[in-house]
Amino acid sequence: MNRDVSTSLDMTGEETPPLEKLRGDALAQITGAADERALEEVRVRFLGRSGSVSEWGEKMKSLPKAEKPIVGKLLNEVRRAITEALDARTQEFRTNQESAALESIDISLPGTPHERGTLHPLTQILDRAIGIFRRMGFALAEGPDVETEWHCFDALNTAPDHPARNEQDTFFLPDGRVLRTHTSTVQIRTMESAPPPIRVIAPGAAFRRDEVDATHSAQFHQIEGLYVDEGVSVADLKGTLEFFLRELFGADSQVRFRPHYFPFTEPSFEIDVKSKALKGGEKWLEVCGCGMVHPAVFEEVNKVRKDQAYDPEKWSGFAFGLGMDRLAMILFGVPDLRLFAGNDLRFLKQFA
Amino acid sequence: MKFSVNWLREFIELPSSVEELAELLTLAGIEIEGIEKRGANFDKVVVAQIIASSQHPNADRLSVCQVDDGSGQPRQIVCGAKNYKVGDKVPLALPGAVLVKDLKIKPSKLRGVESQGMLCSPSELGLSTESDGLLILSPDAKIGEPIASLFPDDTILDVEITPNRGDLLSHFGLAREIAALDAKHLVAASVSEADRLPPVTAAATIAISAPSECPFYSARRIENVTVGPSPDWLRAKLDAVGIRAINNIVDIANFVMLEIGQPMHAFDADKVKSRINVRLAKENEEFLALDGKTYSLGADNLVIADDSTVIGIAGVMGGEDSGVTETTRNVVLESAYFRPGSVRRTARKLNLPTDASYRFERGVDPGMILRASQRATELIQELAAGKPATEIATAGELPIPPKDVSLRYERCNRLIGLPIPKERVDQILEGFGLKKTRTSEDETSWSIPSFRSDLQREADLIEEVVRVFGIERMPVSDRSRFTPSSVADRLHDLEAELRLKLSARGLNEARTSKLIPRTSPAFNENAIQLRNPLNEDHVALRPSLIGGLLGALERNIRAGAESIAFFELGRVFIPPDGREERRLAFVFWGSTKSAVNWKTEKMKFDFFDVKGAIESTTNRTLSFDRSQHPNLALAVLIHNEDDEIGIAGQLSASIASKIGATSGVFVAEVVPDFPLGPIRSGLTFREFGKFPAIKRDISLIAAETLTHERIIKEMWVAAADSPLTTIQFFDLFRGTAENSLGAGKKSLAYTLTYRDKTRTLTNDEITVVHAKIRERLQRELGVELRE
Repeated sequence: MNRDVSTSLDMTGEETPPLEKLRGDALAQITGAADERALEEVRVRFLGRSGSVSEWGEKMKSLPKAEKPIVGKLLNEVRRAITEALDARTQEFRTNQESAALESIDISLPGTPHERGTLHPLTQILDRAIGIFRRMGFALAEGPDVETEWHCFDALNTAPDHPARNEQDTFFLPDGRVLRTHTSTVQIRTMESAPPPIRVIAPGAAFRRDEVDATHSAQFHQIEGLYVDEGVSVADLKGTLEFFLRELFGADSQVRFRPHYFPFTEPSFEIDVKSKALKGGEKWLEVCGCGMVHPAVFEEVNKVRKDQAYDPEKWSGFAFGLGMDRLAMILFGVPDLRLFAGNDLRFLKQFA
Repeated sequence: MKFSVNWLREFIELPSSVEELAELLTLAGIEIEGIEKRGANFDKVVVAQIIASSQHPNADRLSVCQVDDGSGQPRQIVCGAKNYKVGDKVPLALPGAVLVKDLKIKPSKLRGVESQGMLCSPSELGLSTESDGLLILSPDAKIGEPIASLFPDDTILDVEITPNRGDLLSHFGLAREIAALDAKHLVAASVSEADRLPPVTAAATIAISAPSECPFYSARRIENVTVGPSPDWLRAKLDAVGIRAINNIVDIANFVMLEIGQPMHAFDADKVKSRINVRLAKENEEFLALDGKTYSLGADNLVIADDSTVIGIAGVMGGEDSGVTETTRNVVLESAYFRPGSVRRTARKLNLPTDASYRFERGVDPGMILRASQRATELIQELAAGKPATEIATAGELPIPPKDVSLRYERCNRLIGLPIPKERVDQILEGFGLKKTRTSEDETSWSIPSFRSDLQREADLIEEVVRVFGIERMPVSDRSRFTPSSVADRLHDLEAELRLKLSARGLNEARTSKLIPRTSPAFNENAIQLRNPLNEDHVALRPSLIGGLLGALERNIRAGAESIAFFELGRVFIPPDGREERRLAFVFWGSTKSAVNWKTEKMKFDFFDVKGAIESTTNRTLSFDRSQHPNLALAVLIHNEDDEIGIAGQLSASIASKIGATSGVFVAEVVPDFPLGPIRSGLTFREFGKFPAIKRDISLIAAETLTHERIIKEMWVAAADSPLTTIQFFDLFRGTAENSLGAGKKSLAYTLTYRDKTRTLTNDEITVVHAKIRERLQRELGVELRE
């Protein structure tokens, strides 16, 4: 027995020592196993309770004390090598099996449809516009859709006989109130409730008694803006709205101011935008009305406030009104205003 | 208003190109809405006279004309028109002429008869789009004259004049503005020469009974006029700007209005029975106007009347009975100042906007009233051989000139944001006809010309400076400022967040009109009606979002949609006072999936989709209670504790079928849960359990009438003081006569989760609690428990 063992330990001998042979046989059989069942047989043959490796464990008990650690170490190495090879081969079988199972899946089938909800395009453009103004330090303000005539006209320097006060185009309620014809009413509401400085935008609906067609609707959407502070000038108005329009339409769009007339601003302007990136943008497109707050508006506000908070000698300001439906039509290339109120899913889904 | 560029040129030297002029005006705030080229500038088209006409031998519809083209040789032309008579002068296109649409004229034979040219219709010369017969020229036209000299090239500008600038509503007025903007010299119109005015006397033949509405009225009598067609030049001028020629007297009145802006009216003097009285109408006084319609007037309508009847609505329209006709011999020419507000009120009330009312509403130039009268008189003398009275009869006083306006240069610079030299400011204002009346260190006073009553205060003068100086030369500045967020900011953010969440869950945001139609499917009961709706589609304010969403649903069903899941977040108007409230609404119909999902079966939306959608918008526990609603087959009131926050349910089949929905339509509307406090409630961290949970199922069979709510309530009662943390409902099976469960019964299944925050639970203790719950369900509810 001693000889046997010593022979087995003789790594230099010509004959392969028994433990090395064992390792070689095991690895060969592992490689040769055709499937997991065959591999299991190999495992039992070598590592099973009465397998070859276990037998060597028994044999080792009878070895001289000096040789035990040497043989033990070698035996452990062989065991680990076989175990690792078995694991690797098992993994290989499993992987192949998995791949084979998945191979049959037609990955060109459509992905599971996730419902893609949509935000209305008007909501999207309002949010974008609000985001830009907020970056410039504007807070939001609100006012009611149903307004008094005073807020809608008189307070905005549009007396009853004023040619710009067009009752024909105004919806009236039975109690004499009106649906606001512009969001400029929020200028008055804001100044009534707080002293200057004021720096607000007010997104909201406005109403005009107009025949409905591709560019007119009874209800439309505006963003009103008002900035009142000491020393606010036309330069501030220009700076603010040029910045806004370039942010919205792209840095390379052209912005043009034209003098215009609104009863509640003086001087007043309209703003045109031109940009090759826009549908129809090779021409000037009118997008905004604006101007320096008319001193008569401040005076009217002071009257109802019963103070001089908005002293036109001390404070100046600018105001503007952006037609959001029109901006959305330009930005999204929508040809007909009525599409916005139609809520046709074929339309809405295009803006998902 | 339409302007003829040729006409403008009579008063001012214009920029060389029309485009340049349009740009100049546009950038000065005078918007050009259209540019139209006119005229008949064709070579080889001349005036010809028809000297003979006979039937074509081979064609019923054709005639053979002999015409005199001025060459001395008669020329034979075959012609298809019938609207001429021998002796008429017409345009003749000679061989070699090229007309509109590249129509080339050459000698030809028509049905065997030679034709050496073509007689032209207005459309063949590009003068009109209609084509009915030959263009019959005035008898005064010179034979052989090129047609281009009769219809010279012109450009018509369609100009939007803002309501504050009534002074621009005439050719002279616009020319005056261009002169100021472009620093050009204005050709003094003969009309503006005051020294040509005849004596003016206050006359007993005119009375003004309503001086606050009409401060000044003038009338001039012109006798022995010959009423007839106007000469070509006058007709062409009117035609160019879209005014129809009537007769020389009426045309002259219109011409003067278009030239210098003062609306005028000519009465047939013999039909005015007594003195003229400018008074307010009597209530329900009737008046037959020139347009042939009878108007019922009210006590706030200013009229021109004689002693017996109304002869004109002041500043709006004259009367049919007192109008100038072919038989008129003597006329009375009115030129007056009517208060803008008065004219505006009347024109609005009668819904009768006219060229005259348009100008009076915007304020006419008091300085032009008598000059206009004189200008028209001279033209009537010239063109209708009238003999004017030596004096203009007047009543009242001309309105006082506008007050002086002061301007501080420093203020001007501050408002513009750029220092502009004082001299430049002065130069600009003087260009508009203002005159400096007083000057101190920094402040100046300016007298305002009579035609610029819109210049009332400093800001108005600053605007003129900006317009001429050029907004494009103004600097740009950025004065950002910290601004605290407002309640409106918070509301906006909450709304935006809610919209995003709902759309991320596959819902589509709708934005429906706040104005609802007269006939709407449902949910618009008691809506506040508008007093003056324009059409049947917008008659009332929505009291609910559901009506509008059902409209959107209907349109989408008709368009073939199969899966519709809408939400809308917006304002409604609560009757009867119209209080505005934010609402969130849902409409579900059809398949739960918009695209075909090949892996799972198709499911239809049901009540629980709408319930789940509402529950997903809040962290609060809502309660749902059965109720009644006229539009809903299944109506459920939603409560947040004691507050009713909305309604949900299934539309009744009768309404659903009206909108084309063949299966259930599920709707809901709630007041959205927008916590506006400083810190969003419910969003603070809670420690989660570190110790393992134990899960046990309970499966039971109950009567169909027993509700889930009852069952879990009993579970919670039985589990009082136990570590039960959640009850998850996971299966429902409803019995029918066909299945093993049998009709009237249902099977429900729950997973109960037990967890203690402080320790690991033992199976034994949970078995005890769980058994207690099972026992209570059996005892209290009589359910059958399954293993």
